[in-house]
Amino acid sequence: MPDTPEQPIVNQVARLARIHLDEQQLKSSGEKLEQILGFVSQLEQIELPKDVIPFFGAIESVNAIRDDQLQTSVPREKILDNAPESDGEFYLVPPVFKPTDS
Amino acid sequence: MEDSVLNSNSNSQSNNRQTVPFNDAKIIIGLEVHVQLDTDSKLFCGCSTRFGEAANSQTCVVCTGMPGALPVINQRALELSIRTGLSLNCRIARSTKWDRKNYFYPDLPKGYQISQFDQPICGPGHLDIQTTEASGQPRRIRIERAHLEEDAGKSIHDESNDRQSSKIDLNRTGTPLLEIVTYPDIRTAAEAKAFLSELKLILNYIDVSDCNMQQGNLRCDANVNLHIPLRGQQIATPIVEIKNLNSFRAVERSITFEAQRQFEGWQENGVTIADAPKQTRGWNDHTQMTTLQREKEDSADYRYFPDPDLIAVKIEETQIKQIRSQLVQLPAILRELLVKEYNLKPDDAAVIVSQGRGVVDYFLTVADGCENSRVANNWIGQEVLRHLNESNQTIQQYPVSHQQFTELLKLVIAGTLDQTRGKEVLNAMVEHSISSEEAIKQLGIKSVDNSELVTLCETLMDENQNVVEQIRSGNEKAIGMLIGKARKKNPNANPGLVKAMLSKMITG
Repeated sequence: MPDTPEQPIVNQVARLARIHLDEQQLKSSGEKLEQILGFVSQLEQIELPKDVIPFFGAIESVNAIRDDQLQTSVPREKILDNAPESDGEFYLVPPVFKPTDS
Repeated sequence: MEDSVLNSNSNSQSNNRQTVPFNDAKIIIGLEVHVQLDTDSKLFCGCSTRFGEAANSQTCVVCTGMPGALPVINQRALELSIRTGLSLNCRIARSTKWDRKNYFYPDLPKGYQISQFDQPICGPGHLDIQTTEASGQPRRIRIERAHLEEDAGKSIHDESNDRQSSKIDLNRTGTPLLEIVTYPDIRTAAEAKAFLSELKLILNYIDVSDCNMQQGNLRCDANVNLHIPLRGQQIATPIVEIKNLNSFRAVERSITFEAQRQFEGWQENGVTIADAPKQTRGWNDHTQMTTLQREKEDSADYRYFPDPDLIAVKIEETQIKQIRSQLVQLPAILRELLVKEYNLKPDDAAVIVSQGRGVVDYFLTVADGCENSRVANNWIGQEVLRHLNESNQTIQQYPVSHQQFTELLKLVIAGTLDQTRGKEVLNAMVEHSISSEEAIKQLGIKSVDNSELVTLCETLMDENQNVVEQIRSGNEKAIGMLIGKARKKNPNANPGLVKAMLSKMITG
């Protein structure tokens, strides 16, 4: 684990998350990330027996499973209320292929 | 990559490349097949998976990714995945978990897809396919894994609004998919097609998916590159993933195109797998070409991590045993049965089995009932399948029951009906949904007794003495003319019997 996350990593994570960060935000995000990683890295100091199986959640139970049963969906007008833009039928989003692409 | 790589663009190397014939290159193909599982509800919520409903009428807080909504796994999706895995000889995981695959696209409302990264529900397996190789030996294609994941929604790039916006329908979001990944064991475009055909047939037999490719219920990507021998070394071209293959024909043609394109590209520039990352290309059905798809350089960085909203699934031995005990006979077993126990030619057996379990059962019942599997195959393979094809019906909708069909074939086998009259009877049975007895009556078919036949033959000989002379002088084929005339005089006379009687009476 690097002591200080490289600035390019913060840049890349921001880009992947489609978040625009200005220089000040990039710097503070880097510092916060560093703190978080530092905190988590304490776990590396624990010596574990080799046969410990990793677990992937805080809950130890397994098999929360439901039957293949239909349930009523949310009415369209209600679910589309959450959309920044819709035509009452579809969500409208910025064009995936811009006009200049053609 | 085990192959050592030559990496130089010097002129001498270029000259060397020009001397390699295309046929020396080995095509390396791996497939990723997405199968929509036949469930009523989605993978993690109770919304319907029905195709073709009004846009955005089948969504809820879970599949649209509202904050705080919790996904819960669908039991039937697990079962169908295990059933598929067992049918593909896969190891079934005893513990499987869920991971988030993070990427941004407008049809993915959560900003991640719930998938399985390192603990897929089905581990390694294999599928044997029939090929046209001279040896007749099946080819074994190894399966690397099969994992469950949710589908994304559908983007509609509408031309009518001047592309001011794209429309999103989230009905498909959260529909269960099983992604089946092969090892790169496939060597020709025809083998890729054969693999997909066999896989689709199996999925049909085990009732896992209807595999309707038009509706996108079976989707395929192909990873393709070449291994080219050059001066005792193997050179690998960069791997290309071909997307957007929504028909078997597209799979076959795109691989053929891509192999040629890669070969020519390599001859020209010598670029190898060491020089270029994996590329994504899309198949264009109109131009019959693959074209480069532009991607963000780091779109492959999905930053998988375990989904904290879901807990692991433990699969018990008893559950696997139970699903195994309910497995139906697979196509390969049935083909073998038809060849070994019913004496069909392998090609004929393949045709019957490719029509689905219903046609196989129809054949088995009729063949057993009339005790002549060859005749049953001829009639079902030709008459029945042609009718089903032309009328776009399933065997369950076929108007002639297997009992009625058996009765008809018994009459044909006994010689009571000749082939031509038999087909007329069958057509009447199909058209009017009547029994063979009723059809025979309706067509005015009467059995012709021996004395009638004798009279008929005598009349024919009297009226056609020149033909009789021809036959007597050694032109045996001329007898066909008399049989034709016999049919006109009495359509019920069995041509086989007429021929036998005539030749006895003429040549003694």
